[in-house]
Formats: sequence, structure tokens, C-alpha cells
Amino acid sequence: MTVLPFIEQQITTSGDASATRRLRWSMAGLRPIVLPLLFFLLWLGGWEWVVDHFPASRSVLASPSEIAAVLVKSFPLLVPHIVSTACDTLLGFALAVVVGVALGGALAQFHRLNQALFPHLVLFQIVPKIALAPLFVIWLGVGTESRLVFALFLSFFPIAAATAAGLSSTRPEALRLCAALNAPRWRTFLCVRVPFAIPALFAGLKMGMTMALIGTIVGEFVTGQEGLGYVVMFAAAGADNALTFAALALLCAVGLLIYGAVVLAEVVTQRWYGAPFVTEGFN
Amino acid sequence: MTSRFERLLSIALPAATAIAVTVTWQVAVTLADIREILLPTPLAIAGSLGRNLPSFLQQALITGREALAAFTLAVVAGFAGAALISSSRILREILYPAIVALQLIPKVALAPLFIVFLGIDAEARITFAALLSFFPILISTAIALHNTDFAAVRLCRSLGASGWQTFWSVRVPFALPAFFTGARISSTMAVTGVVIAEFITSREGLGFAILDEGSHSRTDAVFAAITVLCVLGLALYGAVKGLEMISVRWYRG
Repeated sequence: MTVLPFIEQQITTSGDASATRRLRWSMAGLRPIVLPLLFFLLWLGGWEWVVDHFPASRSVLASPSEIAAVLVKSFPLLVPHIVSTACDTLLGFALAVVVGVALGGALAQFHRLNQALFPHLVLFQIVPKIALAPLFVIWLGVGTESRLVFALFLSFFPIAAATAAGLSSTRPEALRLCAALNAPRWRTFLCVRVPFAIPALFAGLKMGMTMALIGTIVGEFVTGQEGLGYVVMFAAAGADNALTFAALALLCAVGLLIYGAVVLAEVVTQRWYGAPFVTEGFN
Repeated sequence: MTSRFERLLSIALPAATAIAVTVTWQVAVTLADIREILLPTPLAIAGSLGRNLPSFLQQALITGREALAAFTLAVVAGFAGAALISSSRILREILYPAIVALQLIPKVALAPLFIVFLGIDAEARITFAALLSFFPILISTAIALHNTDFAAVRLCRSLGASGWQTFWSVRVPFALPAFFTGARISSTMAVTGVVIAEFITSREGLGFAILDEGSHSRTDAVFAAITVLCVLGLALYGAVKGLEMISVRWYRG
């Protein structure tokens, strides 16, 4: 009896009605993609319109079409700066991952070391480390080394803290089980502690990656030699708004690409361990 | 007895580490005869701090005032924005991807643009720092306001509570921990933002003092100014943490 309404529904929604329903259904699925895209296009259109109709805005803005034109025209000139920023960020981040994960792992293994150092890690997370940028210039000069090491320095702390916290937040039942099964310490570490720590670890990596890029950009501001941050500052000082926005767009692209790579690594790792991939968001 | 020993150790060990690092620093720099310009000893930094304290405090007042203004702006705008996008599905669908993208891109690079827009005075620095510290509050609060325990919202609805009442007496208390997590991150971002803007505008504030002393190769003064800045950052963070404890206790009743 209970299946009857369902069948009835099936019969009535044949033909045209089912087609529109299917269309509406697929539209509902597309909504989260189409709406932001529409909003973005509207935004660009409004921007273009404002710049075209209010000449006064040209002193601080450039229209999207001009920005695109400059982007295409000066792209060959910008390539070395893109490479410089991307290399500093990626190398600094990679080194921070090595050092940060090693220290985080050591802290999770040795309780006394953790007690001695973890408060300092937290403290360094809070203080404005950005202010140390001029010191790195004094120590390492205005070349690529100072930017790279500064990026490493900034991205190290979130990675180390997240690794240490993640590795020591394993569910106690799982550890008890390992102990009961006489698992050796290193196997417990590798097969239980590490998988449990993956979400926290990647949260730290994402934060560290963002910090590495910020470090590179601030380093470029302070050293003023090369890189997209330098181009932004140079073009803004010369009131070349189209070039400023073009360099900003490239910086955003670099940032989103590297961030996307970290997220991809997270998805792959989680799938490899057979754990579900979860991100925070609206239920 | 053991727990008391552990508690003592959890304070003594970090303190001992800090002292050990400072002493090693002092001894190593003195013995290896490293030039003052490269790495001053902790004693030299303390001396410089004592000499420059009046001027650094004056600069700290400027930086602190701007960071506080930026943070306040970010809290008000972040909370209002979160209330807005958590209450409307269409706004959420339109704006949330944009907000996440804006959170990910390096907004630090926008600093020179703010100088173009707003000049080299306090307004530009405050607006830039407010922009940096706006997003952590917005995102964490919006998610928490939206993800309120569904059973509690249902209960409110069946008791005939208005949307407004549900918002203030259920959604907001539920979101309070997430709001303060965002606010703590934002407080550090506000100080960072002001310092970066001071680097670029180069007029006043501790960021300018650090850059200025650095360009004159007075490294001990750089370290001293950074110390003052760290104290400032910790004070703001501590104030937010204190407010969090008070408000959580207030809401728990």
C-alpha cells in the first residue's frame, strides 16, 4: 500500500513534466557554482562600468579590460617575477615542512621536550613575527636567500604546532588497543598516531603555506629587488594602476594554485589511508 | 604530589628553556666575537631598550591605537557580515565562495594599493589592518551561527520563538566559542597588518621604528623595538582571551 503514492507520482511525472523536473534538479545542483560565478561577472561588469563612466576613479582604479590587456602585454616581463615569488614560497614552505614536521614529531614523542618547547611555539604563533623582516635583510642581504628564509621562518611555527598537537591527540582507546596487542612503539606511531594526525597536520600545512606566501611578499616589500610583491609596490608607487592590479591577479593565481596543490595532497593522503575527506563549512 | 610536581614542571621547563637560550645567546655572541650589527647580545638589547623606551613607547601608542581601531572595525563588520550570510541561503551561496577565495589569496600584497586609495596616514593603515583581520572572524562566526544544534533551533521554533529571539538567545551563545577563536586570530592579524602598513607608509609607529633603526644598522634597537611590539601583540591577544573567559562565564550563567 505504501508504495502506491510513489508509483502514482512516477506515472504523473512522465514526459514533459519529468524533463522540467530533471532540469530543475540539475539546476539546484549547479546553483552553488552558477550563483557565485554570476556574482563575479556582475562585479567585473560593474567595475568596468564605474571606471568607464567616472574618469575620476582612474586615479585609483583601472578597468578589468585594461588590466587584462596589461597582463597580456607585460607577461614576458613579469615571468621572472612570478618565478621568483613562486620559488621563494615553495622552497621556504618545503623546508618549513621538513623542519616543522620533524620538530612536531619529536615533541609528540618526548613528553618533557614538549613541556619545555610547546609554550614557546604557541607564544611565537601569537607575536607579530612579520616585524622581523628587516632583521633577515641585515643577516642575509637583499637577495633571494633572505626572502626564502623569512618565508621558512613564518611558515614553520603553524606546521610544527599543528604536527605536535595532531600527533598527541590520538584517541586513547586506539593507543590502549595497540598497547594490549604489544605493538612496538614505532608501529603504533606510524600506523595509528600518524593517520589520526592527518587532518590537524594538513590544517597546519595550509596555514603554513599561506604564511610562506605572506613571508615572501613582505620580504619582497622590504628588500625591493624582484618578485610580484615588488612589482605591486613599484607599480603602485608609480601610480600604474593597471600593472598593480595585474601583478595582484598573478599573486592571487600563484597563491590559489599552491593552496590547491596542498588540498589535493590532503585528498590523496586521506584516500590512501581510507579516511573520509572533511572540510569545515556549512552543514 | 605527583600532579603538583607535574604542574611545577610545566612552568619551570619552558622558563628554564628561555633562560638557557638567552644565556647561550649571550655567551656565544661574546665568545665568538660576532659583530654587534649582526647579532647584539641580550644585554645590549636590554640596554638599548632602556635608552629608547620613551620614544618606543610613543610609537607603540600609535601602533596600538591603530591596531585596536582596526580590530574593533573587523569585529563589528565580521559579526554583522556573519549574521547576514548565515541568515540567508541565497546570500550564503553567492558570497561564501568569494569569501573563501578572499581568505586564501595573499591580502598582504594589497597594502600598497591602500596607500594609493587612502594616502599614507592612519586611515590607510587602519583600513588595511581591518581588512586583514576581518576574514577570520567572519568565516568562523558565520559557520558557527549557521551550524547551531538543529534540535535547539527546532525547539525554539515549536515554542513559537521569533527568528530574532532564536538568533540572540540560541545561535549567538552557540557561536560564541567559534567567534572568539576567530577574534583571537584576528587580534594577531590586526597588529601584523598595522606593522606591514607602517613598513610601507614609513611615517610613524613601531613598524617604522624597526625599519628605520634597521636601515641605520642599529640592530640592538631593532630587537628592542620588536620586543615592545611583541608585548603589544601579547597584550591585545590577552585582552581578547580575557573577554572570552568573561563572556563564556556570563553566558553559562
